[in-house]
Order: sequence, then structure tokens, then C-alpha cells
Amino acid sequence: MKKTTKFFSWTPDPGPRTLHFTMETTEKTELSILSEISRISNSTIGLAEKLRRIVEVIAKGMGKDGASVFLIDRSGKTVTLHAAVGLNQESIGKLSFPIGMGIAGWVAEQKVPLALEEPYADPRFAYVPESGIGSFKSLVAAPVMDEDSCLGVIFVLSSSVWQATSSDITLLTTTANQLSGVIKSARLFKGLQDRLADLASIYEIGMALTSTLDLEQLLSLIAKSTTQSLRAQGCTIRLMNLPEIVSKKTFAYHSIIGEAIRELDARIGPAIADRVAGQSRPLLIQDVSKDGSFNESTSGSVISVPLLFREKVIGVITLYNKQKDGQMFSDEDLQFLTTVASNAAVAVENAAMYERMEDLAIEARTRAQELSILNDIGTAMSTTLNLDRLLRIILTAATMGGSGLGFNRALLLLTNDRTNSLQGMMGVGPANWEEAGRAWGEVSSKHKSLMEWIQTGELFEHRDSALNALARGIRVMLDPAEGVLALTVLNKQPYNVTNAAADPAVPKDFRELLKVNSFATVPLIAKDRVIGVVLVDNMFNQRQITDGDIRFLTMFAHQAALAIENAVIHTNLETMNKDIRSLHEQLVQSEKMAALGAMMAEITHEIRNPLVSIGGFTRRLAKKLQHSEDKKYIDIILSEVSRLEGIIHDNLSYIKEVSLQLADTDVNSLILEILTLYEDELAQRRISVETKLYPVMPLLKIDAPQIKQAVINILKNAMEAMENGGTLSIKTCVLDDTHEAAIEFGDTGPGVTAKTMHNIFNPYYTTKPRGTGLGLPITNRIIKAHKGKIDLKNKETGGAVFTIKLPVSSTK
Amino acid sequence: MKKILVVDDEKNIRELYKEELEEMGYAVTTVSDGVQALLAMGTGKFDLVTLDMRMPDQDGIETLRKMKEKDSTLPVIICTAYEEYKHDFGSWCSDAYVVKSADTGLLRETVKKILG
Repeated sequence: MKKTTKFFSWTPDPGPRTLHFTMETTEKTELSILSEISRISNSTIGLAEKLRRIVEVIAKGMGKDGASVFLIDRSGKTVTLHAAVGLNQESIGKLSFPIGMGIAGWVAEQKVPLALEEPYADPRFAYVPESGIGSFKSLVAAPVMDEDSCLGVIFVLSSSVWQATSSDITLLTTTANQLSGVIKSARLFKGLQDRLADLASIYEIGMALTSTLDLEQLLSLIAKSTTQSLRAQGCTIRLMNLPEIVSKKTFAYHSIIGEAIRELDARIGPAIADRVAGQSRPLLIQDVSKDGSFNESTSGSVISVPLLFREKVIGVITLYNKQKDGQMFSDEDLQFLTTVASNAAVAVENAAMYERMEDLAIEARTRAQELSILNDIGTAMSTTLNLDRLLRIILTAATMGGSGLGFNRALLLLTNDRTNSLQGMMGVGPANWEEAGRAWGEVSSKHKSLMEWIQTGELFEHRDSALNALARGIRVMLDPAEGVLALTVLNKQPYNVTNAAADPAVPKDFRELLKVNSFATVPLIAKDRVIGVVLVDNMFNQRQITDGDIRFLTMFAHQAALAIENAVIHTNLETMNKDIRSLHEQLVQSEKMAALGAMMAEITHEIRNPLVSIGGFTRRLAKKLQHSEDKKYIDIILSEVSRLEGIIHDNLSYIKEVSLQLADTDVNSLILEILTLYEDELAQRRISVETKLYPVMPLLKIDAPQIKQAVINILKNAMEAMENGGTLSIKTCVLDDTHEAAIEFGDTGPGVTAKTMHNIFNPYYTTKPRGTGLGLPITNRIIKAHKGKIDLKNKETGGAVFTIKLPVSSTK
Repeated sequence: MKKILVVDDEKNIRELYKEELEEMGYAVTTVSDGVQALLAMGTGKFDLVTLDMRMPDQDGIETLRKMKEKDSTLPVIICTAYEEYKHDFGSWCSDAYVVKSADTGLLRETVKKILG
């Protein structure tokens, strides 16, 4: 062995090694090599650089021109070249042998040193020409041992034939032991560094997790940071479909990072998540293509960990493929992911909780706002019991923005129980775009609340809008076949029509009337009874009507229905009150009349007897004074007596309760009979008569003498109206619409003044100097007793027309 | 000669009817109330009675009932100032109902119709 000390710059060491200062050259060599290795080992350079320098020291220290270090891989199945001198540097990291193969593999397996003077002849030798080994002739190898386990193999290579001595081998073995320390400490340092890096990553992820409460953002953050930390190709997070975790999602939430793994995740992600969630255990799959349970042909490495919150699985996080090809996830990676997942779970739960709270807060705020609006509207509605005003308030509230519901147009319809139909009552909203723009501009510039509109009275200003006319024109029978309006009433439920054209419940003509393709209807329900329907649309801003709108509208409709019901009840009460009052007045009147009647009967009776005496004897006197000049005085007495008797008769007729003796009567004959009776008088008064009697007049169930009396009174009235003669036209017919028999009397007199028109049927009202004022009132009473009607009109051509209408008995 | 009994509480009316009917050729007896009328019926035979409704002591309705009890075939003409009871005269079993009037034409006609 050659002296090699000249290669070392030796500095005296104050330690125990100074004791060996005078040792032999070999020992000195060994000492200097070990000391150099120790120095390198303590330096702060990386393991690769340390190994490179160490092989240099060994080669030079042993006077050879090559040396190398192979390290057993983490898998423990191969040895790989990590540092070399005299070999091709490109082989570093690439040249590797399975354990047991080649010299390196053999030494690693046997864990004994080996010296080969002629390695090429040795069957264990595996020649790899590109490594540059061909330039060497002999070699010595020693295992790098850490107690019982082998970390790698160290070679010394000689370009000349070299028969190594036992001291050479001992030197190399000692050096290898020293190297073992270097490798171990380096690896420990590396482990520590990794651990530190992990901790740093976890810390960073932890920081990230607390940086947001937005669930989506948080999930994407977790996915991104774990993907980076574990140098994976992608990550997916699935959240379990638990309502308490994600309130608004109906299906498991899915956050994905990394486009490259999207397809793979779609294929195997759900199954992996199911397995992990089901077993509530982390999962490491080195290669999914080799795992039969996934039926996957693409190879890929996967780790998946459950997100646990209070021992409950709330989701699964899965990472795919290391970024480096062929590299697989390790147990350390899984451990790291588990740590991250436990933090992430808490953050996810917090975010979900926060999101739910936020949703609740938003909902609470919306509700509060709605209630406030409803309260305002309720106050507004309570300002009136007038139905018309109330409907205007309701519809204005439905169409007002801000303090109202904000629909573009609103129509209100009320049910009619009698006709079993729905009748349009009112419509509020602009007629066209220009009007819409103007109205909104007006509202926004004035900033008026509903109450202010009401208080200033502006709301009730007469506005005869086109929409109002449209609303009032709607009339729908309550039959399901009539469509959505009828259905709203019959099914007591709102309808949100989003596409009227395609909706079989919306009749074409109704859609064309509204001129919109989407609208909503809601029933007005008061005390379980549907009293009407409110229809709203957003014709102008085209805003879609949401379920939230329908819910709010329903609450509003409930309130409106109660207000309408109240107003209707109030109106009914008022009417009833009026009826009662008028009934009371009638009662008082009839009591008065009864008393008056009794008194009149008494008086007339008392007057009649003396009149009979006066008149009776005067007549007797008249016979005796037939030819006397004084006869004219007698005649005056007689005519006045007969007038008085007429007054008495009329009074008694008027007072008398009309009791009817009904019998089938031909009115036409009755009229002709009367005309015959008055033929002479009519002729005397130069009145011609024109009759137009309905040939198929049905028999009427009437009290013939009384109707006769009624007709005579009208006839007399007409005759008196035509002082200078004229034409009396009498017509009978049956009215188609009301199914009544009508008798019409037209005269050619001066007509009737407005004052007379008003009073003509009142007793004791007369325009004639000698009238009793009871003729037409008696007629009126008789006709009314027959449940008929009598009215009086002036003809345009002059003269008056009396019309008597009598019911035609339905049995006939 | 046919005999007529005129029952009326008004003296002037009795006088008027007596004169008018005697002029027609009847024998007329007059009384002023129902009680006397029934007494008269006991003493003499009449062919016709004209009966007022409202009289003191005993009204016409009561008198009519009693007269018909005595002689159901005796014709009775109700002769009254009340025209409002005309409809009901049948139920009172009278043979005619004449409303008193200064014109005695209707009364005379009715009497003539019954007595011939």
C-alpha cells in the first residue's frame, strides 16, 4: 500500500486522536480518512454532496481512482447508486440493482465485504457498460451497516489489478461504518426537515381554514392546499348529504381540484368515498388498477380519509396520484392527510353552521321585512270599510314597490254565490310601457308610503284605467273546465303560471286578454271560504314570480280577504239597518194609515147618512120643481152631493185593505169592456181610441173588478189630460225578458211635469181643480197588491205613457 | 099590496125610504132599531126588510141573524153607509147589499128585482 499522507493537510487535533500521531501509515491513512469523513459529516451540506465528497476522500485516501456508494431504497428492494468518483456521473440515481443482483445487490443481501481482483470473471458481477465501470480492473465492496440492517454498499475501484489486503478491507469496513453514521444522521435530519415541512403545511392549512367561513371557498382551499402539500395531481372533497351539514344542497357537495383527475374521480371517486365513509377509516391504494374492487384500468395511487366531526362522518377527502410519475402515496402522506382532515372537518362544520345561520338570518330579515310591509298594509286596509276604497288599497299595495309587494299589475275578482261565478271587480296597473315608466318615476320621486297615498286622498282619485275596464269585463263560471281562475277558487290554492301558452289550465282567450305569458293567482280565503282571487303579473319588468313571492302574496291575500269580508259584512249590516229602518217607517206609516182609516171610515159613515137625506130629499124636491126656474139651484145641490159621495167613495177605497179575489182573466176583454163603458164619454171629449191588443195574451190570475178599477182610474186620468181631445192608445203585450204582461196607455196630452211625476202616486196629490187625488194612488195599490209594477213616462212626441206590468202566472 | 119593513136609526132616512118606496106602490112600516124590528115581525107579515147595519142597542148583523132564525125565506136588503163590507155580505145571509146614496135608484131597482 502506498503512502498517501501527502494528500491530506493535517491539522493537529487536541482530542485523543493525537495519541495515534506516531501510528503506521495504514493507520494514519485510516485515521485521516475517518477524520475527513467526520468533518464532512458535521458540515451543513446535503446528503448527496456529503456522499460525493466522502467517496472522493475514500478513493484518494486508499490511493485508488474510483469509489462509489449505493443506498438501499426506501422500499428495501433495490440498491441505487447515489455517489461516485471515476464512474459516469449520469448513472447516479439511475444505476440500481435489485437486492441479491450484481455485486452491490449481493453485498447488500449478504451484508459482508467482498474483494474481487477480477470481477469480470465473477458470476455475481453484472456489467453495465454505460456506468463507466469498464475502465476498472479490481474492486472492493463493503456493506454500510446500521446494527443489523444494511443501508447500502460502498465500493473502492482500482484501474489496475489490485489484490486487496485484509487491512484494505478492514479500512473500507471501518469507513463504511462511519458512513452509516453520516447517512443515518442525514436521514434523521431529512426526516426532521420533512416533519417540519409537514407541520408548516398543516399550520398553513390551519391558517387557511380559519380564513374563510364561506363553505365553497373553504372546500376549495382545503383541496388546493392538501394537493400542494402532498404533491398530488388532484383532490376531491365530498360532503355527506346531511341536512344539518349543508342545508341547501340536496345532493352531496362536491369540490374538485385538478383537471387531470376529473375523469378518474368520476369513475372511482364515489365508490372510494362510500367505502371510506362506510368504514370510517383512512384508505391507501397504491394502484387502483390492481385493486379488483374498482374495476379500473388506469393505474393511479389514491389516499382517502373521512372528515370526522364528533365521530360522525361528515365527508370524505380523496387525493389522486403523486405529481411524479410512478411515485405512490406513502403511509406518511396518509398520516398527514388524516391530520389535515381532522382540522378541516371542524372548519367545514363551522362553515356549514355559519352558512345555515346566515341563511336563517337572511330568512329572518326577509320575514321581518314582509311582516312590516303586511303590518303597514293592514293598517292601510283598516282605514276604510268601503268596499271600493278597500279594493283599491289592496291592489295598490300589491303593485307598489318598497312598501308594497311590487308586482306590475294586479286584478281582483270576487265570487258570486248566487250565480256561482267569479266577477272581476278592479284592476290596478299601468296600461303600457310609457305609463309604467311614468308611474314608477312618479312613485320613486315622491317616495310616498301607502298611508300617505291614502291620507292625501290621491289613491282614490278617479282613474278609469284600461286595466280596470279589462278586470271588470272578466266573468268566469266556477267550473274546473274554465281554467286557472276557477281552479284557484275550487282548489283553494295559488297557481304560478310560468308558461301560459303551454299551460292547458290557461284558456287562449284569457291569455290574449292578459297579454302576458306568466302570472300568478292566489285565492282570497276568509273563514275557510274562498271569496275571490287576486291575479298578479310582471308584464313590464318581466321579473319572474318566485315561490317566495307566492308565499308572501298568500299571506297578503289572507289579510286582504279578511278585510274584504269585513267590508262586505259591514255593507250588508248597513243595508240591513237601512231595510229595518225603512220597514219600521213603513210600519209606522201603515199604523198611521190604519188609525187614519178607522177614523175616515167613521167620518164617512157619519157624513154619508146626512148626505143621503140631503140628496134624497133634494131629488124628491127636484121632481116637484121640474119646470121651475129654481131647478138650477137644486141641480147644484145634487151635483155637490154626488161629488161629496165620490170623495167618500175614493177615500174608503184607498183606506181599504186590498184583498184579492184572484181568477183567470182575459185582460184584453176587460179593456174592451171598459172602453165600451166609457164609449160615450170618450166621444164627447173628442178622444179617439187606438188599440193594439196582443192576440195570444195569456189569462192572468187577477182580481178583475179591482184591475178594472185601476184601469178606469188611468183612463180617467188620460181623459182629463186631453182637455181638448186627442188620441188614447192602448197596447197589451208580454215582455220577453221579465215574462210579464204589460198594458200601456198613451195619451196626447201635455205630458207630466217632473214634480207631478214624483208625486203622482201619492194620495191627495192632484193638479185638477175637482180631483180627489186618490185615483192613481188607488191604482198603484191595486197593481202592487198584484205584485205588479206601474210606471209613467213622457213620450218624446208629447203626452204621457202609463205602463202596468203584471206577472204572468208560471203555472199557465 | 107588498109590505116592506124599513129598519134605520136615522129618522130622515126612514122618512126618505118610506116616501120613495110608497111611491113605488108598497106598504111601508118603519122602525128605528133591531129590537123593534123583531117585535114588528111578530105582529105583522112582511115581504121584504131593508136593514141598516149600525144601530144603537142591537146592530144589523145580530138583527139579521135573528130575523133569519124566525123566517129564513124573508128577503133582507142590507142598506148601509159602509161600502167596505160589501164583499162579505153573502156570509151574513142577506139577499142584497146596497150602499146608501142620495140617489135611491139602486135601492129601488133592488127592491123591484126581489119583489117583482
